[in-house]
Amino acid sequence: MKARLGDVATYGGLALLAVFFAAPFLWMLSLSLRTPAEIYLGAARLIPDAPTLGNFRHILSDPAFLLYLWNGLKLSAAGGALAVALAIPAAYAFSRLQFRRKQAALVAILAVQMISPLVILVPLYRWMGAMDLLNLHASVIALYGALGMPLAVWLLKVAFDAIPVEIEEAAIVDGASRLQVLTRITLPLARPGLASAFVLAMVTNWSQFLVPFILLERDGDWPISVAIFNFAGSVSASTTQLLAAACLVAVVPAVAVFVGLQRMIVSALVSGAVKG
Amino acid sequence: MRPIILATAIAAAPLAAHAQDLVTRDRVGLPDAPNVMTFRLTPYDLYSADAATAEAFAELFAAFIRERPDWRIETQLQTGNIGQEQARLLQQTQAGRGPDCAMVDSSQLALFEQTGVLQPMNETFSEAEVADLFPYVREAVTNDAGDVLAWWWFTDLRVLYRDTSIVPDAPATWAEVEVAALAAAEAGKEGILFNGGRWEGAAFDWLANFWAQGGRLVDETGAPVFGEGENRQKFLDAVGFYQGLVESGAAPQRVTSITNYDAFNAAAAAGSAAMFVGGNWQYGQLRTTLPPEQFANWAVSELPGPTEDQRATGTGGWAIAALSEDPAKRALCGEMAREVYAGPGNAYQGLLPTSAALYDAYDAYEGPEFNLFAEALQNGVARPGAAIYPEISNQIQILLGDVLSGAAEPEAALDAAFAAAQAAYERQ
Amino acid sequence: MLLSPPHKPLTNGSEGTSVTKRGPAPADGRPWPWLVPAVAILAVFYAVPVLDVFRLAFSDATLIRPPTSWTAAPIRALLGNPALPEVLVTTFVFTAVNVVALQAFGLAIALTLVRGEARGLRGMTTFRTLVLAAWVVPGIANGLIWQMLFDEAPYGTLNSLLGFVGIGPVAWLSDPGMALVSAVIANLWQGTAFSMIVFYAARKAIDPVIYEVAALDGASPWRTFRSITLPLLRTAIAVNTVLVAVQTLNTFDSILALTGGGPGRATEVLALFTFNTVFYNLDLAGGSVLALIMFAVAMALATVIHGWLGRTA
Repeated sequence: MKARLGDVATYGGLALLAVFFAAPFLWMLSLSLRTPAEIYLGAARLIPDAPTLGNFRHILSDPAFLLYLWNGLKLSAAGGALAVALAIPAAYAFSRLQFRRKQAALVAILAVQMISPLVILVPLYRWMGAMDLLNLHASVIALYGALGMPLAVWLLKVAFDAIPVEIEEAAIVDGASRLQVLTRITLPLARPGLASAFVLAMVTNWSQFLVPFILLERDGDWPISVAIFNFAGSVSASTTQLLAAACLVAVVPAVAVFVGLQRMIVSALVSGAVKG
Repeated sequence: MRPIILATAIAAAPLAAHAQDLVTRDRVGLPDAPNVMTFRLTPYDLYSADAATAEAFAELFAAFIRERPDWRIETQLQTGNIGQEQARLLQQTQAGRGPDCAMVDSSQLALFEQTGVLQPMNETFSEAEVADLFPYVREAVTNDAGDVLAWWWFTDLRVLYRDTSIVPDAPATWAEVEVAALAAAEAGKEGILFNGGRWEGAAFDWLANFWAQGGRLVDETGAPVFGEGENRQKFLDAVGFYQGLVESGAAPQRVTSITNYDAFNAAAAAGSAAMFVGGNWQYGQLRTTLPPEQFANWAVSELPGPTEDQRATGTGGWAIAALSEDPAKRALCGEMAREVYAGPGNAYQGLLPTSAALYDAYDAYEGPEFNLFAEALQNGVARPGAAIYPEISNQIQILLGDVLSGAAEPEAALDAAFAAAQAAYERQ
Repeated sequence: MLLSPPHKPLTNGSEGTSVTKRGPAPADGRPWPWLVPAVAILAVFYAVPVLDVFRLAFSDATLIRPPTSWTAAPIRALLGNPALPEVLVTTFVFTAVNVVALQAFGLAIALTLVRGEARGLRGMTTFRTLVLAAWVVPGIANGLIWQMLFDEAPYGTLNSLLGFVGIGPVAWLSDPGMALVSAVIANLWQGTAFSMIVFYAARKAIDPVIYEVAALDGASPWRTFRSITLPLLRTAIAVNTVLVAVQTLNTFDSILALTGGGPGRATEVLALFTFNTVFYNLDLAGGSVLALIMFAVAMALATVIHGWLGRTA
């Protein structure tokens, strides 16, 4: 009986929270289905009288919008992959090797994670300008790799720690080198950890405004997180309904990736995260 | 409701079919054309979120490029975040990475000119064309040597909109505005709306009240003077006007959160506001968004002043400037400004051309509102062409937000704003 | 699982509840070759830029003019700027409130989810997905979305909803104090997911046996929370506090879109101030000074986390 009451309380609490988290999405959906005439009717018309898919059609038939989405996906995925790739050797060393000042080095890496991209972008922007590296997706991806690496090192170290060392020792006894052990045994076993590190880095990249806005000067190169600004504040038309549709479309791909992978991510984190 | 859905669906097709090959999302002209000009434009015309506007400009551009088959224009979009976009445009151009041709906000022309990035387009524009520009426009786009450094293709101004079913007569003074707005507020409406949030529009729209009294932001050398001498009291009086509106309830508290002109269109559509300080371009927007009988209630008049005779309005708009030294690209840039934007582009959007002759050339300018706009333009004041203006504007935005939300007193806020502007000026 | 590691007695006390020997192998390799990629990246993308920021902070550089002279003038000008204390206070309040609220929300949601899952209640995954969905909304879009919700016009979303139940209207964005609260709400909506994941993972890692024992002893839910969950989550909370603080400190894109920093300077946090100084006012030297302040704050927080980890290890 008591447990039943607890269930009711659980649902009650979650319902309240669900309202908070769902309301903005529902409201965007409501706005995005409206004709301009119904935009100004506010909350009184949650379900529009004359719902239209025209706003979505407009957004999705705009080749630029699809390009922005693609750019966003490409930059964030490549940046996330690079961050993980760069982090693997260091994380492996932190997990499996003994060396002096290891703890201090780990904390130093976490400290680096705390430096705002804004701080390093100020000089990087000037250098990249001088070296003709602006307006390249590769530059953004490289910076994403650098920004995502520190956290990835931590997550991967934890993932490697969770893999029993005896498995590796057996392979080493059989004559495998450390590198072979890493690529053939440890990495496949650490797949969930790799995936979670990748997705975390990718999501951070997906929402990045600052880095692409500063490093990419042509709109054709922009990811959606920057280009969405174009759909706001145009003085020549009232476009709230389009903006709402654009916001929704901008969210969907990332949500899809997340829903697809969340079981993997969450279980990877559960298996040992935050023990470090 | 059916026709509306249908219309939206048709309008949603991105570009007219026959213009489609020539105009894409990042180019105008054939992809293999030998000559290329890069053009940085705003998101308000060719790539407007409004499908009809985008289509009209696609046709104009297609016609323009058909006559120049060996050219293609590579388009680059800037976001609506004007301040930052213009800053980076200038910075890129100085670093040699700028586009060949670009839209420059009229308030930024002086800064661009000072840094020497504007390339003359003398070959394109005749002396007669330059002479026909409004005086303040001509002054801004030419230098002492008589070079045409940019083509300011449309101007705009601020006017007072009112719902005549609530406010029948146009208020001419600050006091009349407050009385009318208070009466409307008592009737359950929002008396008067204006930009008061943290953005350029708030400072710019408000400045009309300062300029109406003859106030000056900077002196001849470009140094800030708005907080000293006789300017100080004029500044405080203008702040006092807005402050009085909010404190009396004539204007709602929410004005400090308004950061775009769309909010006024929305209020007009919802029928919730009696008056607002808006841009001339909004008249056309209201015509297309409001039902005809509701639109008929809306009228425009000159912005009020402290007295009936002291009136001013801020004039802005966009210019097109050549940033490339290549004469052929400079010429193309200038011709595009003239043939696409200044004439038919303006007429389509109902924007205000900068030369008198164009008003007679198009039927679009026959409406009575254009007589009022022309009259109000007599009192037009452009933002000072000083490098320090963006920081002054920033300080005014902060000051208005603080004073109108009750977080600061006008005198102290002005002292702080003036000190900050001076400090920034010294560091320039 | 596929693996069946040999069972050995637990030798390392810090490994919590695990019963197999895990963790580092005996030291038998040189670390340097492994660390080269990471160190190179850290040097190129962090160390050298930070040093350059130090240098620029003493220059007269603007974004359109290279440095020509070297003085402490930019530092003096910025420290004497009356806007700075205001911005710092706003930043502190914004960060502090967010750190507390994000974690309280995240913890509450995580524990509720774990409970719901343990009881086999339906809808837990859906709810978790919903929270995660808000997380992947780009910051600019987040600001734009909440700007529409907070619209204070008579037909504004939240205010017209509140109007139905006779509350309001609330000055969401026009009142300086409330605007900061609104910025926190928007950040909370987007940021809770991170804390939720961290706490969810940490809570799942606690041995269920401990809870079974507590249940047998008849401990109340509150007591279980106080005496078991909270103490065992201490490290997670400590680490998360710092991570969330830094994330919040570095956030400005949602505020940029939501209020632009206004009204006045009410929501202008340090990151936004820095961004505006460099990329709007083009003041590279001044921006570098601000960047140094951001750097110093981040390093101070890193020191704090170091202390915490040192104590718990």
